Amino acid sequence: MKKARLLIIIGVIFVLGLIVFFPGRKAARTHVNYITAVDDHPLSCTSCHVYTSENKWVSKMVNEDYYSPFNMAVSNDGSRLYVVAQDMDELMVVDTKNYKVLNHINVGIHPHSVILSKASKIAYVSNQWSDNVSVIDLVSSKIIDTLKTGNGPAGLALSSNEQFLYAVNVFGSDLSVINLSTKEEIKRLTTGSNPTGTALSPDGKVLYVTSRRANMAPYGEPLISDLTIINDSTKTVAKYLGIESAYMMENIAFTPSGDLAITALIRPKNLITSIQVERGWMMNHGIAIIEQEGEGRVVQLLLDEPNAYYSDPFDIVITPDGKKAFVSSSGTDYISVISIDSVRTIMAESSPKMLKSFSNNLGISSRFVLKRISTGSNPKGLTLSPDGKRLYVAEQLEDKIAVINTESLETIGSIDLDGPQRITVARQGRRLFNNAGHTFQNQYACYTCHPDNHEDGLVYNMEGKNMGRNVTNTQSLREIGGTAPFKWNGKNQSVYKQDGMRFSAILTRTEPFNYDDLDALVAYITTGIKHPPNLMYNPDGKLTESQKRGKEIYDRSVDNFGMDIPENNRCITCHPPPLYTDLQMSDVSTLSDTDDPILFDTPHLHNIFSSAPYLHDGRAETLEEIWTVYGEDDKHGHVNDLTKMQLNDLIDYLKSLRSPVYDDGKLEVQQGSFIK
Amino acid sequence: MENKGLRKYSKIVAIAVIVLVVVSFGFKIADEHSLNLNSDSINKKLTVENNNLLTEKTSDVNDVKNSMPIYGNWQNFTSKDGLPGDKAYCVRIDGERVLVGTHEGLAVYEKGKWRTYTTEDGLAHNGVLAIDVSEQTGDVWLGTMGGLTRWSTGKFENFTQMNSGMPNDLIYSVICDGKEVWVATGGGAGQYDTHTKRWEIFTEQNAPMHEPWTYGVCAGDGKIFIAAWGGGVVEYTKKTKQFRDYIDPDGNMEIDLFPDDGVVHDITTGVSWADDYLWVATYFGLSRYDGVRWKGYFDHDSGLASNFINFVKADGPVAFMCTDQGLSYTDGKNWVTYTKNKTDKNGKAIITEGNKKTELAMTPSISHNFVIGVDIKDDVIWLATSKGVSRGELLK
Repeated sequence: MKKARLLIIIGVIFVLGLIVFFPGRKAARTHVNYITAVDDHPLSCTSCHVYTSENKWVSKMVNEDYYSPFNMAVSNDGSRLYVVAQDMDELMVVDTKNYKVLNHINVGIHPHSVILSKASKIAYVSNQWSDNVSVIDLVSSKIIDTLKTGNGPAGLALSSNEQFLYAVNVFGSDLSVINLSTKEEIKRLTTGSNPTGTALSPDGKVLYVTSRRANMAPYGEPLISDLTIINDSTKTVAKYLGIESAYMMENIAFTPSGDLAITALIRPKNLITSIQVERGWMMNHGIAIIEQEGEGRVVQLLLDEPNAYYSDPFDIVITPDGKKAFVSSSGTDYISVISIDSVRTIMAESSPKMLKSFSNNLGISSRFVLKRISTGSNPKGLTLSPDGKRLYVAEQLEDKIAVINTESLETIGSIDLDGPQRITVARQGRRLFNNAGHTFQNQYACYTCHPDNHEDGLVYNMEGKNMGRNVTNTQSLREIGGTAPFKWNGKNQSVYKQDGMRFSAILTRTEPFNYDDLDALVAYITTGIKHPPNLMYNPDGKLTESQKRGKEIYDRSVDNFGMDIPENNRCITCHPPPLYTDLQMSDVSTLSDTDDPILFDTPHLHNIFSSAPYLHDGRAETLEEIWTVYGEDDKHGHVNDLTKMQLNDLIDYLKSLRSPVYDDGKLEVQQGSFIK
Repeated sequence: MENKGLRKYSKIVAIAVIVLVVVSFGFKIADEHSLNLNSDSINKKLTVENNNLLTEKTSDVNDVKNSMPIYGNWQNFTSKDGLPGDKAYCVRIDGERVLVGTHEGLAVYEKGKWRTYTTEDGLAHNGVLAIDVSEQTGDVWLGTMGGLTRWSTGKFENFTQMNSGMPNDLIYSVICDGKEVWVATGGGAGQYDTHTKRWEIFTEQNAPMHEPWTYGVCAGDGKIFIAAWGGGVVEYTKKTKQFRDYIDPDGNMEIDLFPDDGVVHDITTGVSWADDYLWVATYFGLSRYDGVRWKGYFDHDSGLASNFINFVKADGPVAFMCTDQGLSYTDGKNWVTYTKNKTDKNGKAIITEGNKKTELAMTPSISHNFVIGVDIKDDVIWLATSKGVSRGELLK
């Protein structure tokens, strides 16, 4: 009797299970098909609901804390390697003889670069998300001072007399000059846009500062990015050297004789349709050589080869004998070895016209690249031992330092930083994001147009067949997980769709990501990318008086004349907190003649101050222009009753908007999906 | 009776003779003390001119007994010499070069040559009304009729009321004060923080101004002084971020009813601060403020060329006033004024000490009497006038 009852119960459960299973599976299929925009994605709930979970405990379980080495410096006796572990907010001290990590020194948030004093007794570490520099006594391994900088310190250099520290401010687009005696910033010099790298000439006379973004210009005009040249003695800008058709100049180095400065760069072809990638014509990667003597020529040479591009060049170092330069191609996991003598020969033997043509010549690299050395994932910072015999490569997404013999040009070792051995799904996604291997000829990675997971400030024509139509401004990928739909036209309901089949058809022109990789990429993009703190406009969450007035305007429902503002024309309606987007489509009256008639997806406004240019096609160079130049008909918010002072207050408030993680103390998941 | 009358007339005649003899001695003595002048000079003589002041004419600067600097050897530049136009609004000496704002662009004089920069080069507007150079960064800030331009080693960056928080595109005055840049515009005063890239606007809505129109701005003593049209001088204390204003206490727009009771007029055109003195230019005279007392100066009671003052610049103890009748400068007691003859290129410098005036011939003199801008450095003075630019050298 009992047995029969048990069988009946099991039978009922089975029948109920069947009843639930088939429609449930069908519903799940429908759901997955909708999210992924394909009909054959595996029905794996974990793909979304585990790996992209923002639940604290789930996130801890599926993610790991990685070190992510970024930049490095070597002591003058060569015995110690100092490694910036960007995702752990540490400076790691490594024994170069035994390949052992000796010490972990906690520094500020999201450190970027490290330099040493000539005697190797002091280290300076720029803390990009703390707006300061940690001064570390290397004997005691203690922080002895913290120097205030501008917004987003990155590259560092000491003045020739070591009495001043230069800190490149990537978010502020300027350079802090800090008197090391008084420990105060004495001045701030305007640099090119989004600067990072810096180097002092061997004679100590000039400091070069690179820039990553091009100068603001209307769509259709060629790009120009500035190298800023600082006079070390007067500490004033001596020159802005415009590098044509290039951007993303990450780092720069001088030859020991000081006759050449060489910077890494990218040459984007954003004025042509993106479909041209199949013709090998979308992004080129190379170097610019700046002559310090004679005519002061600037020559650009491509590192790329006809069918193999070396994307996202990051760092460059030159051996003490001035014979070789090494460039890390972070998008393809290679180090390119350059013969400086060959570069000199090319420059000496070529006419100005020929030299100019080399900037687009995919064959020229065969004349000066000695070798390509394979590395671990995402090689970033490079540094040479004092004798120049060893090259250290920070493999950011490998948590290792590669050691290369600069004479044999072979990898002779690897320093394991003892990071997690497990590669999480999000980590794999980050690797994919930074790797150009999924693009035709390795032309570019996601990172190329989204440096620092943000945007590159350029406007592209993403259309395949409609050349010249529907040009769009690159959008930031920071904290977009909850802001679907995507694209300016909102056609993509998920990141899956954005980065899936269509992505390969329009952008990468190769096979689409397999589903495991796509899951990983989506997990990283939707959960692993955080905004930097908005220290310039909102350091502590307390609004200034002007920002408070601006918030009142943002929230208002009645205009200056006492008239009701229609609900759909209030700032707060379409851009409500906490995401500052209602996730809806709107007409803000900014369609151009070359746009298809569409509504626009309402973008979120976090850290909007750092996303110039604005509007879907980047026509507004500043936030002000959205309303002073392009807001005549009052359709993008009711603003034409505002006085200039009120508009300033409103924009001051907009610039204060920052990620809610800084307001509720939830800053736990950082770059690379590790937990702090 | 006849004898009596004869005696009476003979006394008058004798007195007249004595007077004549005495007077003739006087002339003789004066002649004996006359200066040894060169052939171009005008003979020295005593005469009575306007204002009942005695004017002494000389052409030798060494004869001038005056503590004030005297400039001469004027060299004038117009469009014929390479300036983009004759109408110059402002001038700024920047190391080895001189920057001149003209109606047709920025002119730069370096190594004996002029070079012009216009909107084609990146300037916000060709009408350059004001120039200052940041001591910290060396950046040149240009106030134009169409926005503010930062000119940094060849790179132009423009701020307008459309692309930034700047109050208004018509910029009459610009100064660099540490990391901040202040502008006086047709729509209020603006403060730009070069570190935070933020603008703050000051108008009658948030500052004691009569209207937003501002003409001049200067920094000194931890304060910013703004020449506000119709609002006198607006003082902004940087530490407290508090305002106060200085207006003409008598409130009379026609005359300065009560002397030295405050700024001479509410319509102010420029301010300049140096050596603990604030100098205020108006179209109705000059004011000086020492932090406690005001002192007014007018063309009828001082050596000021004209009450119509376009611009003022203080350099140490001396304030230079650009007027519609020439250039004047003073230390508060002594004056020197430069004018140009209407009919030729020559002119004169008038040195005033108390009630004594001495004229010094200038061949040539300044470019034009309508002076709009001035800058001084070491032994050189530059003037911007409505017809050309003048360069003078320190003679004494």
